[in-house]
Amino acid sequence: MSTLANDVPADAAGARPTSARVGRPARRPGRWTSIGGRPPSTGIVVRTTVLTAGALAVLAPVVWALLSSFKSPDELARRPPTPFPAHPSFGNYAQALTSFDFGRYFLNSVLVTAGATALTLAINAMAAYALAKYNFRGRDALFVVTLATIMIPLQVIFLPVYQMVSSLGLVNSLWGMIIPPAATPTGVFLLRQYMLTLPDETIEAARIDGAGEFAIFWRIVLPLCRPALAVVAIFSVIWRWNDFLWPLIVAQDESVYTLPVALARFSSQLVIPFNLVLAMSVLSIAPVVLIFLALQRQIVSGIAQTGLK
Amino acid sequence: MTAGSGGRTGHGELAPTTRRRRRRLTSRAVAPYLFILPNMVVFGLFTIWPALNSFNISLYDSGNGRRFNWVGTDNYREILSDPEFWGVARHTAVFVVGFVVLVTVAATALALLLNAQVRGRGLFRAAYFLPVLISPVVVGLIWNWALERQNGLVNTVLGAMGLGAPGWLLNPNLAMGVTIFVGLWTHLGFYAMILLAGLQGIDPSLYDAARIDGAGAWQRVRTITLPLLRPTTLVVVVLATIAGFQAFDFIYTLTGGGPVGATTLIVQYIYLKAFESPIRYGLASAAGVILFLTVFGVTLLNYAIGRRREAI
Repeated sequence: MSTLANDVPADAAGARPTSARVGRPARRPGRWTSIGGRPPSTGIVVRTTVLTAGALAVLAPVVWALLSSFKSPDELARRPPTPFPAHPSFGNYAQALTSFDFGRYFLNSVLVTAGATALTLAINAMAAYALAKYNFRGRDALFVVTLATIMIPLQVIFLPVYQMVSSLGLVNSLWGMIIPPAATPTGVFLLRQYMLTLPDETIEAARIDGAGEFAIFWRIVLPLCRPALAVVAIFSVIWRWNDFLWPLIVAQDESVYTLPVALARFSSQLVIPFNLVLAMSVLSIAPVVLIFLALQRQIVSGIAQTGLK
Repeated sequence: MTAGSGGRTGHGELAPTTRRRRRRLTSRAVAPYLFILPNMVVFGLFTIWPALNSFNISLYDSGNGRRFNWVGTDNYREILSDPEFWGVARHTAVFVVGFVVLVTVAATALALLLNAQVRGRGLFRAAYFLPVLISPVVVGLIWNWALERQNGLVNTVLGAMGLGAPGWLLNPNLAMGVTIFVGLWTHLGFYAMILLAGLQGIDPSLYDAARIDGAGAWQRVRTITLPLLRPTTLVVVVLATIAGFQAFDFIYTLTGGGPVGATTLIVQYIYLKAFESPIRYGLASAAGVILFLTVFGVTLLNYAIGRRREAI
């Protein structure tokens, strides 16, 4: 463990062109005794090996679930388990799709995720702009209250929330899953931190040019916040797509089930075979993973720029 | 705009520019309230009001789940003298401490490795981030299946190495260890990303200066990287602590809180009190208030310790 940590900053700095100039001439063979007298390339090999081993360990259960989803029920029950499916087939998927109203659950999940994310972006960005760029009475109190609610899990207040949703007639409706979680404190916080870094002069100049307050927000501030908005969007998609407890409470009718709710019902009713649970699990993971892989670069740079440092 | 203001006749004394400026000032004063309003309405209806109401409910006894009788602080007294609650509190404390310490150390190590890694960094980052994307329900299902005693992935691998087949989810101590591990597995990539962003904000010329002064690799980590990373580490500790106290979904499908309640944490305790017969909304709400106060206190403590360390 300590040898790993040892060689990290040398390479971290060494990878940068400026330090290479300064660092390389100073290197003498004796300097590397701290990592056992090996040349730097060994450090790189060790580091890559450790990262690879760790990544494989992290991915193993997911990959195993993916591979197993192509196995027949008989093969799944075999002991010891086979690493690769003997006769890979989409049988489990076909059966899962036809036995249950999978298309509807999938569509519900998409609608809830898309709707909630759009709403979150709109109202969080507006609130963040007010908190970041205006001086008004009660601003700091509102900000502190917003942050404090990060510490209140839904699990603690779901009963009164349910009463509220019920009195608004939103039970068994997708709106009941879209609206309540939309005002995310994390989103407001991330966007506010990002907006604080925008220069006030830009906004002031637009005001002098006669732009209205909303026009400034819409045409100047929002485009500048694209990286932060991308981060909030991806987190919102992950949260809403994977939400479980809240949709479980709101969706009492099968017609408004989302994927995780359907999945939990399938697995808790032991009559449903595990091969179908596997297939549906894989199908529920796939969309978010694909979105993440497509947007990875923006997400990472967004997190770096959002003030989470 | 000018056409609009010109339409209101009878106050023609004001020059159009003055009027426009005045109107601009008004809109500038009102704008922040309009901007923050939609978020605050949703927030107020579905978070703040329910949270306050939760405190209110905690002062009542729900009886059969419908009737509400004012009982004052009786629910709190009952919880604090309930051995089951203290068992749950102990498990929660073990889980939170274990989870926060492990995830912070592991995420820091991973971030340092990723920061140094040039080849395939994006690939590694994606691999370690993957579990963050998976629904906790599915995480619990997959690990429950992978840890199955007879035929699970873990014991199959261990068996092939001749290491026996422990009943991961059957032994109370092992089950708690497994629960902490699965929490770590789920969150590691997220916190490592935050720390990686922090690492990349450190000025590389500091390392050059330290190297010229003859500082070794470990010395540079200890004297430059870790101290400069401390604000980010504080964020990670705070977020991980809150996440630890809120852990519920994946445990529900992983262990179900068992064996014999060994992995039943506070949120599940609240959930059971609110949903399982005998339904006790008031008691559950009181436990929720206790949880909130605990999380709030621990978060303030984290910040106080983090700040003091920074000052030294």
